[in-house]
Amino acid sequence: MRNIVIFGGSSHPNLAEQIASRLGIQLGKVKLSKFSNQETNVEIHESVREKDVYIIQSGCGHVNDNFMELLIMVSACKIASAKKVTAVIPCFPYARQPDVPYKKNGAPLSRFPRNAFMGYVHNAPSGDSTPPTPASDIKDPFIVTEQNSGSFDGSSPRSPASPTLGRGTGYRHWIARSGTLIANLLTCAGADHIITMDLHDPQFQGFFDIPVDNLHGQPLVVKYIKQNFPNWEQAVIVSPDAGGAKRATAVADKLRMDFALIHKERRSQIPPHKSDTMLVGEVKDKVCILIDDIADTSFTITKAAKVLRENGANKIYAIITHGIMSGDAIQRIQESVIDQVIVSDSVPQEEHLEKCSKIKVFHIAPMFAEAIRRMHNGESVSALFGIMEML
Amino acid sequence: MTTNSIKIFAGNSHIELAKFVARRLGLELSKVVVLKYSNQETSVTIGESVRDEDVFIIQSGCGEINDNLMELLIMINACKSASARRITAVIPCFPYARQDKKDKSRAPITAKLVANMLTVAGANHVITLDLHASQIQGFFNVPVDNLYSEPSMLKYIKASIPDWKNSVIVSPDAGGAKRATSIADRLNLDFALIHKERKKANEVSNMVLVGDVSGKMVILVDDMADTCGTLAYAASTLKEKGALKVYAIVAHGILSGKAIDVINESCLERVVVTNTIPHEEKKKICPKIDTIDISSTLAEAIRRTHNGESLQEQNYFLWHNIF
Repeated sequence: MRNIVIFGGSSHPNLAEQIASRLGIQLGKVKLSKFSNQETNVEIHESVREKDVYIIQSGCGHVNDNFMELLIMVSACKIASAKKVTAVIPCFPYARQPDVPYKKNGAPLSRFPRNAFMGYVHNAPSGDSTPPTPASDIKDPFIVTEQNSGSFDGSSPRSPASPTLGRGTGYRHWIARSGTLIANLLTCAGADHIITMDLHDPQFQGFFDIPVDNLHGQPLVVKYIKQNFPNWEQAVIVSPDAGGAKRATAVADKLRMDFALIHKERRSQIPPHKSDTMLVGEVKDKVCILIDDIADTSFTITKAAKVLRENGANKIYAIITHGIMSGDAIQRIQESVIDQVIVSDSVPQEEHLEKCSKIKVFHIAPMFAEAIRRMHNGESVSALFGIMEML
Repeated sequence: MTTNSIKIFAGNSHIELAKFVARRLGLELSKVVVLKYSNQETSVTIGESVRDEDVFIIQSGCGEINDNLMELLIMINACKSASARRITAVIPCFPYARQDKKDKSRAPITAKLVANMLTVAGANHVITLDLHASQIQGFFNVPVDNLYSEPSMLKYIKASIPDWKNSVIVSPDAGGAKRATSIADRLNLDFALIHKERKKANEVSNMVLVGDVSGKMVILVDDMADTCGTLAYAASTLKEKGALKVYAIVAHGILSGKAIDVINESCLERVVVTNTIPHEEKKKICPKIDTIDISSTLAEAIRRTHNGESLQEQNYFLWHNIF
């Protein structure tokens, strides 16, 4: 392949190596480091003039650092006269847009952890305040309670701004959605094309003015099930929440398997106000395969597994595309009733494999390498998904 | 006719400075919660209405620079989506200011990238202090106000450096000569220059003094002190050439890595930095550090920007009322 250069960012050098070797070329020489004051330093050690540049960087680990590194690399290649710069981002950062949930009377329900007040929430040592995810509910920090009126334990003693205004002002607290901003930043840095996989929110492609290729992990999941589960025809595909039903049914239809769904029921009106997780479908004495796109804190899949076990499931597996596993997710998985969690290597998994015996990895490098080869040669990428069995 | 008000938001980089600025303006900081999710993504929640208001976001490029920069961008974008009338990014220490030219093949001009990012996020105006190169203002298509800490430095020299009339202003490199001569002229003092050869980033090799410092106090003037290798080496060179005492006055005290150890072991008498970058922790282990408070400069700029008054007059006011 001529006139192509592939650079790997520091988020996932292993994946970049695999993709390059699959394409039969060497990775481009680049030196990535940080200056003493934490600014990112990018030095590109080969010519990119008039070449097709692909930069492989996943949105995992220290997300902001890796994202800045990606932007600086894109910008450096662009002003060094590269012909086209493509950002290959297997796990796209800031893809989950937090939605403010509503209470029954229409008022917004937004709660922050108690010690989040104009400061970072580190992985809090105090047991009950777990760090939030973009999808979680968060307590309101603007209302004074005994817990948050003092300065929180953390790096520096910052006292909160006077929280005199609470809900009474009628102002609705809302969380900023950074999706458009991220898309605009990538475009303004000079990216001409984006390749990603299993975007959490497929409408994200519309935020960009440049072409975005959202590769599907589904064929790889289907292939994994066929190859690694004996008697897969008798198993049941389960979606751990209502939002992922479409994704799970797509896999179930492809394989002509049974399907089940776990549904979190609204709080009941009569006290005690319990919220129930309900299983819709039959799983008794069956092998269950949970399908989801992201496992961050892994609350969703561990809770789902518990429900399945209570309903008589025989064995429980989970196939997740992006295994971010932040905080103490690994521990949670190890202690849960799940038998195996299968993740792709869009996020580096070496550390997770060491700590947890239940994790298995399926590789996405062949798919990305083929996609890059087809893009470089100007061939169809969607035709790729018809022949995924051969990869 | 409805008027809008000033809303000041502070990111996590330097909340103390933001509080000082707000206090000088007689305001409270506006409510915002900026935190990190467990997967390291930044989350911003604005706690008040900013519709049709004049928003100022104070965030310095220090500490975890990439995190603070992303926080700033997301806050600007959030205010823009919330229909703020005008959004001004107040960035006392501009990040990536030193990567401002293509000095070797394929070097990124990150300062330009940062300028583009700020504009794309939705900033209408940028206020900064002592830009490393004032040409960085040209990277922006929006108005940029580059304020000077020089009047504050002059006030400090007259007030806190004993025997300043018998001193020489020295620039530790050729690039800062213009800055140092400006101070020397205003104080009516002599000037000298140290010419250094630099092979790698943050590593200095050879120093040559141009000018005379024997029997005099020396005041080194520079815009940034990062690892302080330059300053320490300059101080020992000057002492060898007969300087009595060596002070250093620096606009941005980044003081990263082993800087504190270097300062403690050097022959510098005192290192004076502005509070564009928080350094309270460092002051505890290094008694040689002293602070110049520039919150009044920023507060005055914010007030004049909001009221539509001239900042040039602010410079005049500062120059002539500081003494």
